[in-house]
Amino acid sequence: MYPEIMGSDAKQDLDALVAKLKAKQKQLIRELPDIDPEELFQILHSLLRPIGSGRRFFLRKQADGTHVF
Amino acid sequence: MSSDEAFLEQLLRALNAANIEAIIVGSVAAVLQGAPLMTQDVDLLIRDTPLNREKLSRLCSELGGVQLVQPSPCSRTLSTVGTAIQVDLLFDELPSTHARFESVRSRSIKVPIGDQIAVVASLEDVIDSKAAADRDKDRAQLPVLRNTLRVKRKLDESD
Repeated sequence: MYPEIMGSDAKQDLDALVAKLKAKQKQLIRELPDIDPEELFQILHSLLRPIGSGRRFFLRKQADGTHVF
Repeated sequence: MSSDEAFLEQLLRALNAANIEAIIVGSVAAVLQGAPLMTQDVDLLIRDTPLNREKLSRLCSELGGVQLVQPSPCSRTLSTVGTAIQVDLLFDELPSTHARFESVRSRSIKVPIGDQIAVVASLEDVIDSKAAADRDKDRAQLPVLRNTLRVKRKLDESD
């Protein structure tokens, strides 16, 4: 869950996001059939999730050469 | 807000305090428009003026006493050393497409991050610059960037 954007009605907020994701996925999977469905879902999730909802996007290189985020 | 979003908010606050007008370009610009990417740095486009050059010391101070270095003698780009995430300062134009600051700004969008507002290069400009740069890491990101743009346009049509 995204506590930063969820108010007291956290479950309803999440339900609404999931419902929108499912509806858009169903619509766009037909309109953009060449996009892999899992990639489409990932893009939609990213597009519909507001800034400030706790998204991480920076990779940090560690001393041993591995990356973490 | 994640630590990554908080870092961007802090960076924007420092830019405002130093009175530097900057456009977020590159992968972070794409991330802020919904592209599901990971990246290691933030690219900022600013104008190369004597006044802006003077303001960079204030920016370094606002970011906690970081330093700027020029990673390549072939480029004017400056990179921060000492920030949690590397910040690259590009001057006047996008290096690959040579799109000028004013031109990129005219197509930019504004994205609120906490109590700050980021000026962010359009997804189209990000895609064009990565296509022109044509490095391995740019080519690897292009398919998902192009698909993100297509999905975004479909969502805009249906909203």
